[in-house]
Amino acid sequence: MSELKTGTFSVSDLENVQINIGSIVGAIEKTAAEEGEVGPTVKPNISGLRDWDYKLLERYNPVYTPMCDQCCYCTFGTCDLTGNKEGACGINMEGHNAREFMLRVITGASAHSGHGRHLLHHLIDKYGADYPLKVGQTNIIAPNVQMVTGKKPETLGDLEGALSYVEEQLVQLLACVHVGQEGEAIDFESKAMHGGMLDHVGMEVSDIAQISCLEMPKADENAPLSEIGMGTIDSEKPVLLVIGHNVAGVTNIIDYMEDHDLTDKMELCGLCCTALDMTRYRTEGGDVPKAKVVGTLAKELKMIRSGVPDVIVVDEQCVRADVLREARELMMPVITTNDKIMYGLPDRSEDDIEDIIDDLKSGRDDGALILDFEKLGEVAPRLTQEMSKIRKEKGVVSLPTEEEFNELTSRCVHCLTCELECPTNLPISDAMTAAEEGDLRPFEILHDKCVACGRCEQACPKDIPVLNVIEKASQRVIREERGKVRVGRGQISDPEIREEGVNLVMGTTPGIIAMVGCSNYPDGTKDLYRIADEMLRRNYIVLMSGCSAMDLGMYQNDDGETLYEKYPAKFQKGNLINVGSCVSNSHITAATIKVAAIFAQRNITGNYEEIADYILNRVGAVGVAWGAYSQKASSIGTGCNRLGIPVILGPHGSKYRRALIGKPYEEDKWKVLDARNGETMDIPPAPEFLLTTAETIDEMMPMLAKNCIRPSDNNMGRMIKLTHYIELSEKYLGIMPDDWYKYVRNETDLPLARREEFLKKLEQEYGWDIDWNKKKIVSGPTSKLDVSAQPTNVERLCKEA
Amino acid sequence: MADVSKNLKVYTTYGPKSARGTKPAIVAKMIEKAKRPLFVVGSEVLEEKLLARAQAIAKKGIPVAATGHSIKGFIDEEGVDAKYINIHFLGSFLCDPKWAGLDDNGCYDLIILLGHKKYYINQVLSGLKNFSDLKTINIGKHYTQNATLSFGNVTPEVHLEALDELIDNL
Ligand code: SF4
Ligand code: SF4
Ligand code: SF4
Repeated sequence: MSELKTGTFSVSDLENVQINIGSIVGAIEKTAAEEGEVGPTVKPNISGLRDWDYKLLERYNPVYTPMCDQCCYCTFGTCDLTGNKEGACGINMEGHNAREFMLRVITGASAHSGHGRHLLHHLIDKYGADYPLKVGQTNIIAPNVQMVTGKKPETLGDLEGALSYVEEQLVQLLACVHVGQEGEAIDFESKAMHGGMLDHVGMEVSDIAQISCLEMPKADENAPLSEIGMGTIDSEKPVLLVIGHNVAGVTNIIDYMEDHDLTDKMELCGLCCTALDMTRYRTEGGDVPKAKVVGTLAKELKMIRSGVPDVIVVDEQCVRADVLREARELMMPVITTNDKIMYGLPDRSEDDIEDIIDDLKSGRDDGALILDFEKLGEVAPRLTQEMSKIRKEKGVVSLPTEEEFNELTSRCVHCLTCELECPTNLPISDAMTAAEEGDLRPFEILHDKCVACGRCEQACPKDIPVLNVIEKASQRVIREERGKVRVGRGQISDPEIREEGVNLVMGTTPGIIAMVGCSNYPDGTKDLYRIADEMLRRNYIVLMSGCSAMDLGMYQNDDGETLYEKYPAKFQKGNLINVGSCVSNSHITAATIKVAAIFAQRNITGNYEEIADYILNRVGAVGVAWGAYSQKASSIGTGCNRLGIPVILGPHGSKYRRALIGKPYEEDKWKVLDARNGETMDIPPAPEFLLTTAETIDEMMPMLAKNCIRPSDNNMGRMIKLTHYIELSEKYLGIMPDDWYKYVRNETDLPLARREEFLKKLEQEYGWDIDWNKKKIVSGPTSKLDVSAQPTNVERLCKEA
Repeated sequence: MADVSKNLKVYTTYGPKSARGTKPAIVAKMIEKAKRPLFVVGSEVLEEKLLARAQAIAKKGIPVAATGHSIKGFIDEEGVDAKYINIHFLGSFLCDPKWAGLDDNGCYDLIILLGHKKYYINQVLSGLKNFSDLKTINIGKHYTQNATLSFGNVTPEVHLEALDELIDNL
């Protein structure tokens, strides 16, 4: 048959003709090219951005802290790699740990893009491949997709190509994990970066698809507020609890409830990102959220053990493996709705709705797999109403009674086994003693710090259900757990970037603090509030997502306001934004990409390296994943890292076993080129790391300010950033930082109110030459202030390199 | 008859190499023998009774790397040479023979640890165990497998007693 060239053509007056279209990739690529400039890395393969990764890794060295010194990947093993020894296949400890880190990253990326694929299938089925993508006021609908794949998607169908690319690359990366493939740590690291980059493409596909189809807020600074907390759930009503990340099936439940006038008659509530996405569903334009958020993964077992839910629906990701076993004890039927989690339940997708409801309410089955969302939409709410009656009649209770509670606390022999097993070594034994004496406060404090993992119960030689004891003791505080979270708004709009981009690059907005990730905090949930409040008062832009976004909404200030109520939600200094669920993290990287595209007019299409280089050197943004626990968090973070955004983790983050830390004392590492002429410029060590941990938030506060410093700051910007760094160090550590002088290029960089004091210090402690008549620095600084310099790490971007 | 059936229980493990148990007197001797010891404290050292002991150890002339926000407990303490550093950074620098130390006097040969979260310090120590020749001693109240030497799991009371004994021996 004849071959069609790219372009448009029309076919009319055909009869009895079958047209087969194989792939229209060429045509789409042409479209992208017609849009304008295309950079050198359209759909980069595994080695496509290796040079860039090597540049980053040369400055930011991988730091491995293995969690297991052995390897048991293949039947040559088990191999002892202690002390960086080699295993039977020749891989050493560094290589093995880099391999494991990469595996973690691509597992996370697969979870997001698998989720995206499922959603996309579902939405294309429902809305058609031509359904237009609508994400708000923007000309760059999908910055990550466009930057990486070189294409500007406009319809749901256009997203398929981006996702296919991600899937293909993930297979290639997974292949490298096989024994006898990659051997060097540095190339596993580069591959991990590749996986992280892919993750942001996969997340972006997932989120813009659902934003477009499910009437979610579209870059809306006025997105509504939703209720959050265990205390907001009315347990007198039938309660349907949803757990997971994929809102597809839940939308059918919400629709059914509305159509059947059930919305006020029962409670629909959720845990983890499904909860966040339920509140986004059909709230475009400010409508009230149709569900409540219970909280994060750390509330999963607590909520089930409360006995409040009548039915549980799970979809995918971050769902405990024992939900069915736990729920069974409490007569809560479990419906699984996604083939990633099926719990061994019978597939009832094809069965009659009445039969399914009968089998579940009679207790013949503990649960059902229902992959048909129409059916799910009807079964779940109807069953919830039935189960509520049945469970109330049977008087199903979960937590111990007062007497049982007293018996349990006195049964404790204070052997401390539970404390040694507890991931954070919480002081359970002392709390038992206090409770015996009638003081429940220690348990109430534990309740907030406990992530409800259940390990203590598994360990207790006296069979004390420790978590139930904690929860029983904490009923008072649980009732008070009521807050507000702003519904996820999705992208940052073009007009917002246009206004704020200049302030970010010059530094007059001191930086973006993006608080993302899960709830494995070292010291309870309130830390998030403290971080956000401090940084907002200092005019940083604070972006939230996922479980962190939820926990932030759990606290009120003295006026009874949550931070979401206190601070406006525009993308500008001193504002607080919730972008949305896990997959909405792509909008955080997207915002930085858009600064390069809109403010600096850089081409982003297929132009990863240049954009990452721009962000590393000019956009002061730091990610915080204070309670990161998941593989997804490692891929989100690594995607940020490749794009030049540093990330700080809480102390549990050390269990990711790999950090990327620079050495400020290696002076040759802190140099860049000036793109105007290719000359070398000294820069201060900022950011100092791409991935590290902090022990406490008091330690982290000054780290945040310091690592928002960028070579491009103008003097006003540097002065503002340095002021915050010094002030936060003084406030939280009680000291003047000992490296503050490295960030001073001339006297105008010094905090205005304390200029004289600091000039004196520079003269006396660091031997700098000061002209006291003019109050000017004569000599001393290593880096120079030149506002028109164009810092870059990429030689080819220099004019006369 | 030798009883070989005792103490075989392993809880969770990092691998075949485990810290040997140690006593205050031995720790004191090792500190005395070391050329460049470094006392690395974490934020949990700020608890009042522990802090008094940590300051006393520091005053014996051992430089302090104050990690987390523990530096708050060492400011303006006479006879204490303490500097703030992030422990993940410190773990990285300690594996680098080119690092000149917190005071530019060269790298260290003995690391003594106190007041850290058990899981956190075990990770940092895992890096040192696998990628450096440094000797590390944890004198906290939790046994940490990845140190070279460690106190066992002890109650807070026994722990304070052990620290007092160590101070007396220094
Ligand atoms: S993959 Fe290599 S190090 Fe691991 S068990 Fe096999 S031979 Fe040993
Ligand atoms: S393990 Fe059980 S008996 Fe031992 S301290 Fe903990 S709760 Fe008490
Ligand atoms: S359930 Fe809570 S108290 Fe028990 S081990 Fe887990 S975190 Fe610790």
